[in-house]
Amino acid sequence: MSQEEIIVNNLKEKFPNIADSIKIQRPRRIFLEVNQAEFREVFDYCVKKIGFPHLCTITGLDKIEKFELIYHLAQDNGNILNIRTSVPKEKPVLKTIINYYAGAEIYERELMDLFGMKVEGLPEGNRYPLPDDWPKDQFPLRKDWDPKSLEK
Amino acid sequence: MHDSHKFKIPIGPQHPALKEPESFSVALKGEKIMGVDIRLGYNHRGIEKACEERTFLQDVYLVERVCGICSHSHSTCFVQAVEEIAGLEIPARAKYLRTLIAELERVHSHLLWLGVAGHEIGFDTLLMYTWRDREIVMDILAQFTGNRVNYGLNTIGGVRRDIDASQVKDALKAVDTLEERTKYYIEIATSEVTIIKRLSGVGVLSYEDAIRLDAVGPTARASGVKRDVRKNDPYAAYADVSFDIITDDHSDVYGRTVVRLKELLESFKIIRQVLHNLPAGPIVIKAPRKIPAGEAISRYEAPRGEDVHFVKSNGGEKPERAKIRAPTLANVQAVKHMLKDRFLADMPIVIAAIDPCFSCTDRAIEISRPGEKRKEVITWPALHDYSIGWHREHGIDFSALNKKLKKGFKTS
Amino acid sequence: MSIVKSAINWARIKSPWLLHFNTGACNACDIEIIAALTPRYDLERFGVQLKGTPRHADILVCSGPVTRQIESRLVCIYEQMPAPKFVIAVGTCSCSGGVFKGCYNVKSGIDQAIPVSAYIPGCPASPKAIIDGVVKLLSSLKEK
Repeated sequence: MSQEEIIVNNLKEKFPNIADSIKIQRPRRIFLEVNQAEFREVFDYCVKKIGFPHLCTITGLDKIEKFELIYHLAQDNGNILNIRTSVPKEKPVLKTIINYYAGAEIYERELMDLFGMKVEGLPEGNRYPLPDDWPKDQFPLRKDWDPKSLEK
Repeated sequence: MHDSHKFKIPIGPQHPALKEPESFSVALKGEKIMGVDIRLGYNHRGIEKACEERTFLQDVYLVERVCGICSHSHSTCFVQAVEEIAGLEIPARAKYLRTLIAELERVHSHLLWLGVAGHEIGFDTLLMYTWRDREIVMDILAQFTGNRVNYGLNTIGGVRRDIDASQVKDALKAVDTLEERTKYYIEIATSEVTIIKRLSGVGVLSYEDAIRLDAVGPTARASGVKRDVRKNDPYAAYADVSFDIITDDHSDVYGRTVVRLKELLESFKIIRQVLHNLPAGPIVIKAPRKIPAGEAISRYEAPRGEDVHFVKSNGGEKPERAKIRAPTLANVQAVKHMLKDRFLADMPIVIAAIDPCFSCTDRAIEISRPGEKRKEVITWPALHDYSIGWHREHGIDFSALNKKLKKGFKTS
Repeated sequence: MSIVKSAINWARIKSPWLLHFNTGACNACDIEIIAALTPRYDLERFGVQLKGTPRHADILVCSGPVTRQIESRLVCIYEQMPAPKFVIAVGTCSCSGGVFKGCYNVKSGIDQAIPVSAYIPGCPASPKAIIDGVVKLLSSLKEK
């Protein structure tokens, strides 16, 4: 059994209701999807029990009715687990994962600046990457954002 | 409060209308840093959004320009993701050529870094030497690809240009020369007391902290962390070539210098293997204009560390999403930690040692002191001068070494 | 032109002081600018020197397409320079925005913020092109 299959079987056993979403896309690439309610438990298990020492980054996507997030976690043997979850557009609130990965802070700030999501639990700090005088309620990576709405 | 020191921190030109927020906010007590806040985003150009508005192929050339030092890194990392989504198995020769340019890029970047590091500690002759040698690599890159930077080598499905026997010969000759010069730099770095004194114990990042703060690249490897995407998660032709992950246990700026120097030797190893074993065959396969729906995450070991690209297609000509995480961003937490409880005079080299984008170091630094409301703003060049003056006062002076090396310097 | 003015002009042409400023570039041009100063290309043999402050600079050498964050600082630096002053836009991004033309957060060229005296295209502009551009600018000053 490959390393990837061991991880996948472990997860399928522990979390049977997300078993269908767990896929090995190719060697060293596993994708799974979990709803926000169960996210914390699954994430915690993956990081602490299976072990993914490295956070590559967090990708945000605008899926119109909701925002999708993909947490890309890596092991030193090259396996990347891509955990997909989502939050509703009308209330795009999520909790920080900086207690798992210190480096998550800057990726979470990016989600706030570019999508307008709210990440709870972050310490006070500079925004990233937009400037302080960026107009409120303008989120460049949203699909419906038009650069013309920025007064040049 | 420390006040007897001759070198007062110079206050740079302040302009009341200066709206630009400072890049670094340093809380200073005497000469020591209590904490640093780093502010990034100066070169935020909206590239991810632009990727969604251009075709996959146009994006290959756009992302090349994310960074002017690791241009091939970004372009390759991106195109690998697209090829994975499209299910394209590119020809072996293309993988080898990508690897060749990748390692040449690493060589030019590390030599550039050496020069910059030399400049930050007052060892300017090293800048002259290393940037002279770097020109050898730039010439080979220009010969292979037509440009010194932004090579335009990649296309979806492979590479756009091939190399011939005479170019192979030139490259092998260049590698021989560079290897000789690199060995000389290693000798200097490991035997000159001034360098060892200046860089040791500076910017310390223990193994545990490197893991906890999730550092990448030479910064992590200098703390003993065996992370290198070329070995951990191989791409291009790296699974076919033999080389070592270079780690060091000094866990400081000296270690980061040694790691980069030794990585140069590994790069020469790889370049020779690639050139001697270049597979015959095509350099490209046809790619569809519309990339089928799918997603992929691609990683690449850029000279500065792990580069990550996530690309998603919804079946069209343009990506639905292109996420780019450049290596320097991953080292921000580590840098903040490295500067805590250290001398302000060490700040330039500590920041330089993670090999950040140049533009980071163009910016102003804001200094605040406990109990004082007013904040000072100093420019990077002023901090640079302060740092060199401070170390000179503490017995580290590169004037003699500069003189010694100047004597042996010959223009190429 | 008065004697004083032409003396100042001549002194400027003999050894102009350059200030290098990055307006949000990818750094490729910045590195080529510095490479132009290294012995292989040796811009310094034309007497130019890199200076750290706008108050002493004759020529502002800019790279980058001008991001939103940096625009006011660029203008401020230009205003701090004493007259006569000149601006060189190095690289295609500085000339027109380059590949970033039309990106939000980017002004698309130095001349969108301050007047430009010379344009040196290239992505990046090579050290030879940079030297050529600087020399052309200096020669045009002579003619004044």
